[in-house]
Amino acid sequence: MTVRMPRMSRRTVLAGLGAVPLSTAVKMPAIAQSGDIPIGMVLPFSGPTGPYGPDMKKAADLMVAKINDAGGILGGRKLKLFIENSESSATVGVAATKKLLEVNKVELVGGFWGSPVALASKPIILAANKVQMLSCAANAVTEGETKGLIYRFQAKSTQWGPAGAKVVTQIGAKKAVVLAQQNPFVVAMIEPFKKEMAARGGQVTDVVMYNPDQPSYRAEVEKAFGGEPDAVFCLSLLTDFVSIAREAYRGGFKSKIVALSIGADAEGKFLEAAGAEVGEGIHHLQPAPPLDSPSYANFVKEMGAPAGTVFLFAGNAYDQICTTALAMEHAKSQEAAVWAKSMRAIGNGPGEPVDDVIEALKMVRAGKAINFNGAGCTCDFDDEGNTINRAFYVQVIKGGKNQGIGTVT
Amino acid sequence: MSAYLTTIAILVCEAALIGLALNLQWGLAGLVNFGVVGFVAVGAYATALLSPLVGWLPAMLIAAALSALLSGGLALLSIRLEENYLAIVTIGFGEVVRLVLLNEDWLTKGALGIADISRPFSELGVASGNDIAFLLFSIALVGLSFLLLEGLARAPFGRAIRAIRDDPTVSSALGKPVLALRVRAFAIGGAIMGLAGALHAFYLTYIDPSQFTPIVTAYAFMAVIAGGRGSNIGLLLGAGSIMALLEGTRFLKDFISIIDGTQLSALRLALIGVGIILLLIFRPQGLVSEPKRFERDVFPRANERTP
Repeated sequence: MTVRMPRMSRRTVLAGLGAVPLSTAVKMPAIAQSGDIPIGMVLPFSGPTGPYGPDMKKAADLMVAKINDAGGILGGRKLKLFIENSESSATVGVAATKKLLEVNKVELVGGFWGSPVALASKPIILAANKVQMLSCAANAVTEGETKGLIYRFQAKSTQWGPAGAKVVTQIGAKKAVVLAQQNPFVVAMIEPFKKEMAARGGQVTDVVMYNPDQPSYRAEVEKAFGGEPDAVFCLSLLTDFVSIAREAYRGGFKSKIVALSIGADAEGKFLEAAGAEVGEGIHHLQPAPPLDSPSYANFVKEMGAPAGTVFLFAGNAYDQICTTALAMEHAKSQEAAVWAKSMRAIGNGPGEPVDDVIEALKMVRAGKAINFNGAGCTCDFDDEGNTINRAFYVQVIKGGKNQGIGTVT
Repeated sequence: MSAYLTTIAILVCEAALIGLALNLQWGLAGLVNFGVVGFVAVGAYATALLSPLVGWLPAMLIAAALSALLSGGLALLSIRLEENYLAIVTIGFGEVVRLVLLNEDWLTKGALGIADISRPFSELGVASGNDIAFLLFSIALVGLSFLLLEGLARAPFGRAIRAIRDDPTVSSALGKPVLALRVRAFAIGGAIMGLAGALHAFYLTYIDPSQFTPIVTAYAFMAVIAGGRGSNIGLLLGAGSIMALLEGTRFLKDFISIIDGTQLSALRLALIGVGIILLLIFRPQGLVSEPKRFERDVFPRANERTP
């Protein structure tokens, strides 16, 4: 029997040499150093909610860098942010949450976009006594047992319905049809919408439901628009709304479309996908970030976007980092169960209104009472941990551009 | 860290159960089942809905029985069809299940899903103790299923379905009841998929239709292909390595700065695809090849005997 030694061929050597530049990309394991405070986020980077992940990550990274550059918190300790991809799937989200909690030992699991991921991760986070922060999820997450550890930075789904009804009636529509995706976040908007329509003398003549990820929405569009209602309230997310808007345009239907900005804007992605002609005249609404505040203007600048850009979920990610840092500083502890109790003290007031987090941190250290206002919301929370004071910002698509036409409350 | 490993181990157990079942249906009996996820979902929902009423163990057994019944029925409906048509019917079944779960709110709570499913052994206390008990239970379940399926594969039943897979006409001419054997193989596989679903529901304690997408089926096929079609031991290796790749790549971005979360999710699937392609090129029979596949495996000296 002969033993064959592996021989290094010229090709192997070349391949090895070629890999050398890559090795510079290998960095030390990102395990938090002893003084660092680990925090985590589960964000969607792929799947139907994938479009929101990158901007949220950018905003969160920005904020962490800003706080750390200004000297960190709790006497000079740095925040260390770990981000995991939920792939818009509950199973993946649970594994990601487990990894953050067990491997990275995070005090906060934030980000959460989408009800299935948030609902499936909730029991794990609560069992570990850590804080869960939500960007967009159904009412059910903050219902039931929360141990005071769950905070919602976005309007509850039931709040969207009445705001939609106000927009529909403001544009002069009396007869409306609801066209909605089977999705827990969206379904909860329908009943409040109907109620508000009735209160305003309008009428909802039909509710058409459809399943997500259909190859075509022609049948549903024809059913919803076919009766020629004055307006169709489209409760859709980005991918399905692009197809629906195209289908309605192709069919030549005259009913006005009122939609959610998470479908009809999605940070500019709707117009990119559907084009100006299809988009023309579509009204859409979303919970308003505090557009006129200097902190929001500053945030838009930091994100490198043109002034006036409406960021929704990126602002929420930004706020989640800010409030976490402030609450930790206020409670003088990185222990989640302890600083969670400080969330209302720094966000709800009474105290001096402040919107710059570095300034706010200084004031907290000086023992002053503050009322922090963020880039995505005013960061005021009710007893269940839901954000309050939500106004909705309404826009209309004209000539391939979103034009703000005011807010409804 | 250990609790995270427990999570991975439980997910591997679930993948292994699904893979073992598919290995019986497709690996041994040659019945393509693209509706794997449908049976898993039926098992999960039946368990979630029944366990508050009858307790967790009976609920699991009923879930397995229901899943077996459905798969047996589906097999009866379509089994006379050629292989490809069975594949189409099973794809359809998977979709139908998902749509029923999504739209029959009165039973399944629709898109909202079912939350707060109580997990067995939760009375052992929170966090790690309960997780480890559940892991042991999952491993026991995989072990039992493995023994059962390995026993079946070695029994006359196993030989008969392998013969049917390779040539139904010949088997039929030898007096084997082709239809009955196929239905049985499909139903047993269905039952084990139902058990996997039950495990999923118990572990996540929250289920909704978005967890049961065709990617579950794809992973099961990957595990069978990687492990070696027809080999149960190979399947365990295959399921383990697919999950290890999927979860292991999660750590890549902590080590390599040029990869961020956005690229990573695409990269993970691509890596698995490349892995499977390489495996099929260099080891087409999978990690472990099917035992006793050829005449020479059974009669090592067969060639010497021939004149």
